[in-house]
Amino acid sequence: MADTAILLPGEEVLSESLPKSKKGTLTLGPGLRHIPPSTILSTTSGTLHVDHKKAALWIEHAHGRYLPAVGDLVIAQIHHSSAEAYACSLTPNTPFALLGQLAFEGANKKTRPQLKAGDLVYARIVKASKWEDTEIECYNSSTGKAEGMGPLSGGMAFDVSPAFARRLMMGTDKNGKQKGEVVVLEEVGEKVRFEVAVGRNGKVWVDSGSVKETVVIGRLLKEADESGLDVEAQRKAIKKALKEVGK
Amino acid sequence: MGPDVVNHPLSRADGSTVLSNGLYTVIAGVNGPIEVQRRDELPEEAAIEVNVRPASGVGGICERWMETVLQSALKSIMLVHMFPRTLIQITMQITKEPSIKLRRSLYDFALMPTLFNAAITCLVDGGLPLATTSTAALAIISPDDQVVLDPQEKEIASCKSIHAMAFSANGDQILTQSSGDLNHEDWGKVADMLKQACIAAIGPAGEDTAMSNGVVQPEPWLRQHLEDEAKSAVRGKVKIEAQGRSREIRSSSAANSKDENQPDSAT
Repeated sequence: MADTAILLPGEEVLSESLPKSKKGTLTLGPGLRHIPPSTILSTTSGTLHVDHKKAALWIEHAHGRYLPAVGDLVIAQIHHSSAEAYACSLTPNTPFALLGQLAFEGANKKTRPQLKAGDLVYARIVKASKWEDTEIECYNSSTGKAEGMGPLSGGMAFDVSPAFARRLMMGTDKNGKQKGEVVVLEEVGEKVRFEVAVGRNGKVWVDSGSVKETVVIGRLLKEADESGLDVEAQRKAIKKALKEVGK
Repeated sequence: MGPDVVNHPLSRADGSTVLSNGLYTVIAGVNGPIEVQRRDELPEEAAIEVNVRPASGVGGICERWMETVLQSALKSIMLVHMFPRTLIQITMQITKEPSIKLRRSLYDFALMPTLFNAAITCLVDGGLPLATTSTAALAIISPDDQVVLDPQEKEIASCKSIHAMAFSANGDQILTQSSGDLNHEDWGKVADMLKQACIAAIGPAGEDTAMSNGVVQPEPWLRQHLEDEAKSAVRGKVKIEAQGRSREIRSSSAANSKDENQPDSAT
């Protein structure tokens, strides 16, 4: 159990709740700002979370727009193509993120993926700055491997809240329990075969080969997000939905 | 008694609230940071756009005036430098207005605190960075020279002067709008009362203001609303500690802090 406190915008994080790190450095996550020399203020309301191992603290907030951060895995939609890069949209009504024409596994000037407007890619954010364009890439530029990223063909993308996307990506703890308390993908995966990609920008791409099953999975995810279902309610909804498609 | 607040009624806006008090109901939605038109772009900070839509018809001069007042008030408490060359767009639709017809100037002044509170709660819902928590309140001076906080429709219609003010958690004045027949002393008296009311709405405040003179404090509606939201967002996932040490220290003398500092029984 993490120890958490609720903060309102502009409230100070007391020094005794700060994690102690060996290096003497702190990592501030979303919702916090540092005023030198040693004041840490919240900028939004939410629960304060502290990771003592990483000497990190952040504020958990349910809603709001996705803000790009380096290292995030996102699902981007190609808007148009230019000579050097594809312009992709991560969230609506924001400037486009740039995806290099050659930023794919094994791509060179002669063989590179030909993407059309509207195509989806699974990509990682490599540059996010408030002064410049966001840059994304579909391979690890230091190893040249795709690591699961690349164009997403077929399937459907569903919009969920960024907080729910984060919960989906939390993975499992030592006992195999879902840290984010979302069991939809695991439970459905026992009955139906499908591929899934979760983007931190609040998009989930699902492809199960059949449109019916894909839509059922997407709807279950959206229901779990919007109605805030707990694990038991999720299991119930999954059972009901799978019965309807005959699984 | 604070206003009723419903969080996140609009699924497509980044943040939204419905705020209703005895006089008005307002739906507020915020989108941001989003792409800004070239002519509105500011090189070092986010542009803030406020749209006020009246209950019927399209906005006129009065709405434009309220928009500019709110825009400059909000700009002073938002951390606009965090998103340079972007736009933060706040849209507010009035859905209920007083049942009796108020004079236009009274109508506008009475509306101002509701709009401000709706804007603040929707900005918080949208996760947009604020320098401080802040609320607004309304007061009138009645014909017999009494200051009335949160007046009813009839009291507004017959008032001598009307005052809309907003204060931050530490008592800084964010917004002040007054109209009617008043002198400097009246204004000072009203400002003091509104300041206390605003600070009380944000919750456990410094001992010097909140609990003085044994005045019965209204419930801290804004803090309660925001804390309930934060709790429901993490429901079942983590156990909420007894609301953090900072609160206990600062509010040790506040009588209403006792029940708030209990751990949430739902989690």
